[in-house]
Amino acid sequence: MRRREFLCGCGCCGLLSATPAFALADGEWHMPMRFQKPEAGGDEGGLWALLDREEAKLKRSRFIVRDKALNDYLAGIACRLAVDHCPDVRVYVVRTPIFNASMAPNGMLQIWTGLLLRMANEAQLAAVLGHEIGHYLARHSLDRLRDAKSRSAFGQFLGMALAAAGAGNAGLLAQLALAAGMFSYSREHEREADRIGLELMAGAGYAPMEASKVWDQLLGELKAESDWTGDPATRSVLFASHPLEDERRDALATRAAALTVPQANVGGEQWRQVMAPHQWEFLEDELRRRRSGESLALLDRLIAASPTDGVLYYFRGEAYRLRAADGDRLRALDAYELAEKQVNAPVELYRSRGMLLRAAGDEAGAKQAFARYLSLRPTAEDAELIDSYLKQEIR
Amino acid sequence: MMRWLLVPVVFLLASCAAMTKVGPGETVVRESLTVRLGQGWNKLAIGTGRVEIWTTEGLPLDTLRFYVDVKDGEPLQDVRGANQKQVPQFRAAMEPREVVEMFEVFSVADGSRFRLAKLAPASFLGTAGFRFDYTLMRKSDEVELKGFGYGAIRDGRLTLIVFEAPKTHYFGKVAPRAEAVIASARITK
Repeated sequence: MRRREFLCGCGCCGLLSATPAFALADGEWHMPMRFQKPEAGGDEGGLWALLDREEAKLKRSRFIVRDKALNDYLAGIACRLAVDHCPDVRVYVVRTPIFNASMAPNGMLQIWTGLLLRMANEAQLAAVLGHEIGHYLARHSLDRLRDAKSRSAFGQFLGMALAAAGAGNAGLLAQLALAAGMFSYSREHEREADRIGLELMAGAGYAPMEASKVWDQLLGELKAESDWTGDPATRSVLFASHPLEDERRDALATRAAALTVPQANVGGEQWRQVMAPHQWEFLEDELRRRRSGESLALLDRLIAASPTDGVLYYFRGEAYRLRAADGDRLRALDAYELAEKQVNAPVELYRSRGMLLRAAGDEAGAKQAFARYLSLRPTAEDAELIDSYLKQEIR
Repeated sequence: MMRWLLVPVVFLLASCAAMTKVGPGETVVRESLTVRLGQGWNKLAIGTGRVEIWTTEGLPLDTLRFYVDVKDGEPLQDVRGANQKQVPQFRAAMEPREVVEMFEVFSVADGSRFRLAKLAPASFLGTAGFRFDYTLMRKSDEVELKGFGYGAIRDGRLTLIVFEAPKTHYFGKVAPRAEAVIASARITK
């Protein structure tokens, strides 16, 4: 998203930015004035310069999702949350199938596609973006920078940053920041960002209760993964420095209940429309992670919200087929059958059904499924292979 | 000052030690696969685990990977720190597409993007196997790679050889040599 386009795309923010700056109920925080670019000579100036260089690389990255409709839509959400700071926020959608978002002190806001896939509606995304913008407005990363310096850890901090920058990897620094905890905030910072995020959500007219649902959903996925692997240590990268997940969810729910937002907006239908063109690719990326527990919990949730979406049943079948545990073959076949009954049944379900039936020795059933696949997708990348199956005699 | 000079020297020596030359002539890979090489290749000698990795120009520029005699229930590669249930295991009843899906998981583990271009039957190791062609957008440097692989399951064991190189220049330069290696491959044990 180019800065100018971003500004143009946020016409709706003009009205919202006229709303007065607000403070937390306990009076600890006020919406600050827009930040000026710091002097180049200071520590903050050095950090900005580094991040500006990384942002220039990120802009050119081939892992950026460039769909204008999606980017304009997300920029609009960020703008409504950031209010007066809207012109300073630049949104980048990064194709990475992991739940994460981050905002750097220079205004670079990265949203990973694994996060988009997991949000049930616009208000849930606003909860996560509000939290990240909360860190930005409270300048938490600068606190971390100065804290690191004061503990003589600055060399390590900067060394890691420069090593990443020198590696020439687009966006690596910013992503490393997330993964390695360069900007890992203290728990108090996280709590404060949660509180600010809720205020920003409420100020933008979103239902604040959606914030706690985000964490509830994620907790559900992590539990499903732990149950599947038998490994209780399975955790999300996002939780490395965050308060205990359930504590956070409960605190968000309590605070949200105290906020009154007239005509609170959830934005479910518009969310689904904007996400629809990307759903297939994002789900393919999700299954390649081979976190079967998380993926199946996610798919269960998506199917509950859209019970007539054949694509979702197909991917549930794929998750079982790829997991290939005891009983998964039948679970996958059941899912493909449900997918087939929906209006948007994907052609690929016939190929997957064919593979499962062939492996189980049902050659006639497999041939029928493969023939259907090939008749609907004669130019498929695996058409020659499927055709060779059809030419084999049934034993 | 001397300490700082030591770092690149040690790194250089370590890099040299990590490669050994193979070929030309008949060469045995992982005890049971024999290939005939018209020219020499460089073999990565350490830290490759289950897979054997060769290159002509250097690892970022071209790789020929051998997965030999993978048994039912084994992974193509070991993944340090991963739970066993999160690493796909080979099954003797796998369809070619499922083998490719399993390979793909390791290709995208670093965030790279994989796209299957073609999957077709192919003769390999003197049996009915398969060939797949793909592109990969490598995450670390955002270079677009092209690759192809040949696979066959014999007696419930998978052998897979995959070549991969940057689409620009190196794929065209080295792919014919890789094809020749694959065409010469036979199981000898």
